[in-house]
Amino acid sequence: MLELKDLSKRFGDTLAVDGVTLSVGRGELVGVIGRSGSGKSTLLRLINRLAEPTDGSVAWDGAPIKGLSGKGLRRWRHSCAMIFQQFNLSPRLDVLTNVLVGVAAKRPLWTSMIKFFPASDRARAVLELDTLDMASAALQRAGTLSGGQQQRVAIARALMQDPSIILADEPVASLDPVNAEVVMGALQRACRERDIPVLVSLHSLDIARRYCTRIVAMAKGRVVFDGPPSALTQTIVDQIYAGRNNRPSLIEDEATMEVAAA
Amino acid sequence: MTLVAPSGDTAPPAVHSPWPGLIRGTFATAACLAALAAMMIDLKMAPETLLSGSSKLGRFIASMVPPSDGGDSLRILRSLAETFAMAVAGTALAIVAALPLGLLGAKTVVSNGLLHFLFRRCLDIFRGVPALVWALIFISAFGLGPFAGVVALAFADIPNLAKLFAETLENCDRGPVEGARASGVSKILEIRFGLVPQVAPVLASQCLYYLESNFRHAAVLGIVGAGGIGFELDERIRIFAFDQVAFIVLLYMLCVAALDFVSRQLRARLA
Amino acid sequence: MSAGPNSVVETFELARRRGLRRQWLQSGLGLLVFSLILGVSFQRSQLFSSEIGGDPLGRIGEFLVRMTPSLHGEVLFESRSTPGSLASWYYDLPVWLAAIWQTIEMAIIATVLGSLGAVVASLLCASNLMPWRPVRFIVRRSLEVTRTMPDLVLALILVAAFGVGPLPGVITLSISTMGGLGKLFAEINEEVDPRQLEALDAAGAGTLNKIRYGVFPQVLPAYASYGLLRLEGNLAAAGALGIVGAGGIGLELQRAITYTEYNTYLAILILMVSMIFLIDLLSETIRHRLIRLDEGGQ
Repeated sequence: MLELKDLSKRFGDTLAVDGVTLSVGRGELVGVIGRSGSGKSTLLRLINRLAEPTDGSVAWDGAPIKGLSGKGLRRWRHSCAMIFQQFNLSPRLDVLTNVLVGVAAKRPLWTSMIKFFPASDRARAVLELDTLDMASAALQRAGTLSGGQQQRVAIARALMQDPSIILADEPVASLDPVNAEVVMGALQRACRERDIPVLVSLHSLDIARRYCTRIVAMAKGRVVFDGPPSALTQTIVDQIYAGRNNRPSLIEDEATMEVAAA
Repeated sequence: MTLVAPSGDTAPPAVHSPWPGLIRGTFATAACLAALAAMMIDLKMAPETLLSGSSKLGRFIASMVPPSDGGDSLRILRSLAETFAMAVAGTALAIVAALPLGLLGAKTVVSNGLLHFLFRRCLDIFRGVPALVWALIFISAFGLGPFAGVVALAFADIPNLAKLFAETLENCDRGPVEGARASGVSKILEIRFGLVPQVAPVLASQCLYYLESNFRHAAVLGIVGAGGIGFELDERIRIFAFDQVAFIVLLYMLCVAALDFVSRQLRARLA
Repeated sequence: MSAGPNSVVETFELARRRGLRRQWLQSGLGLLVFSLILGVSFQRSQLFSSEIGGDPLGRIGEFLVRMTPSLHGEVLFESRSTPGSLASWYYDLPVWLAAIWQTIEMAIIATVLGSLGAVVASLLCASNLMPWRPVRFIVRRSLEVTRTMPDLVLALILVAAFGVGPLPGVITLSISTMGGLGKLFAEINEEVDPRQLEALDAAGAGTLNKIRYGVFPQVLPAYASYGLLRLEGNLAAAGALGIVGAGGIGLELQRAITYTEYNTYLAILILMVSMIFLIDLLSETIRHRLIRLDEGGQ
């Protein structure tokens, strides 16, 4: 169980995340929505400490994350896999090696340095790729793949980590609709089969409604809605995306347009 | 034109009247030409020296055909090989020294702005020193022979390569590094999986490029006594054996073209 | 996906082994060739040869120490006759400054003459301006030859013909500038907007008028920017050319070495480097302004 308490992050003068308290249990697929700049990415990065919290605490099964450093921090990051909007694969390494980076933390340093991994790791990596229909590309350079294919490789890398929680930061924002479905499907499957919490920050309200078991909406760093998708009414959506205290947004958000069309 | 042009203050300058601009232009051109002529006179570039020299040069060129190896082709080939060896050794030394310097010069490694600025300016200052200037002094220090040439090549390249390396490091994508970090690997493996695959091919291609240019530089270092093909050329120019000079120069150009070709192939494969 | 998990892994392992074998062969061969070249090179260049006493790093260090002048803080600003003062280190400053000025003049004249030559050559070998193929071919090849020819070799020959002095240096630099810039200029010429040339064609303009009104306005800023860049390079080259007798500050360097005055060498080197640095800064500002002009104008 993941517990955030009064979590805050300050960049200069602005509070990117402002006192977020949240607990997520096993098997929950949480969609974090909100306008760009509302703090959803930062919130996810605070959990695996790619960003350092200014205030508040994160705990996993009661154990605090905030004080971790060195090996302890790396072990936490290893058990808490992350998927990025821009995939963050090494484009010049082959797909297999990119996936095996997911277990490198558990293998001796020198074997990882020469990119040597035991046959059992390789077999697992290939099988993970196979479930995402990517096994045939295992020896190709990651940079030669399309965006959707790269994101699938990134998911295979995340699953290689045997994660006890998955964070996905806008995983489908740069993908076409078909690949977006595949990627969301894979996250949903991981969530159900492994019975782990999955936090996904999403741009599109439609996808969030269809896949997530719970939706957390953020505005200006604060949680403004937390509940099942069915409780997310039109009024609340308007409030999230237009912002009561803001001047009206000039940019038509993709999500608002979808809601309006519905 | 003056009839059509609107009155003074609203007229765009081009329509106004062509004369002031034209006069200014002519004046500026004349001033530049005068300055150039003054410089030429200062350098004693008199027409008569140019003429007498040209006739001499004509005789030199005439004696270049047909090129001849002077019965010494083996020695010429060996000194060409020596020149290449100097270029390789010089480039290798420069790379070894430039790698840590490049690391220090990268803003992403040394984030202190002032330190970064000073270090880069320092590199810029030394970038201006040509290899020949280094060679001259190293020959005096180490005696005649290729060693001085190798060190001179390395010294001339180090600031250039260090700057290139630093820029490569600064321009690399942070994404893969972050991706590896999020998997919980140690700092060394972040670099191994995130940075090295990005940076290594670029660095290798830059090094190949410097090998090419060092082959050209190494050829002239012999003139001041650093061995290699330059030494052979200098010897033959001094005794006016221009047929042999032509032979060596042609052979050398062939080698340059060959090296360029090989290096281009290798660099294309690295891309 | 109809195949079982084992067969997926097996297929993969088979492909991997095939790839690995090729990779090993390639990288093994590459490593062998590479280390062979490197080893032979180090051996041939006597880097660790005992003939010159080995210990290359130590010798470089020792030499750098000999290069540093012995300056004393308390007499730093005394006159030339006091040993340990700055003035005694830079004892021949007026002569050196004159030589530096000569080097600058050489570089400027050579850049101007070379650029003019390059402009003419580039017009002759641009495919959109020169209809005759053979002319283009010949001009292109000759430019290539001048680029491959090491300029010091050229300088040596020219010094033999014209005698010691700045003249052979200027000619050498002009020729190599022409070779280098000619190629660049030709590339710029070929990217000229063809519509403007067509408009002039339609107006019945001759070739020269076409170049004057159709090409030059488009390419001159780029020409100037490359010319300035070349000027920076020519300054360093002009400094080096003096070493083979082609005038300028290089002659003074050569003289310092002949008398084994290492700290004098360092003094002149510092002068030369600061000159190059200053002119680099100056030309950089001008180039940035040119680029801005170019962007603003279009």
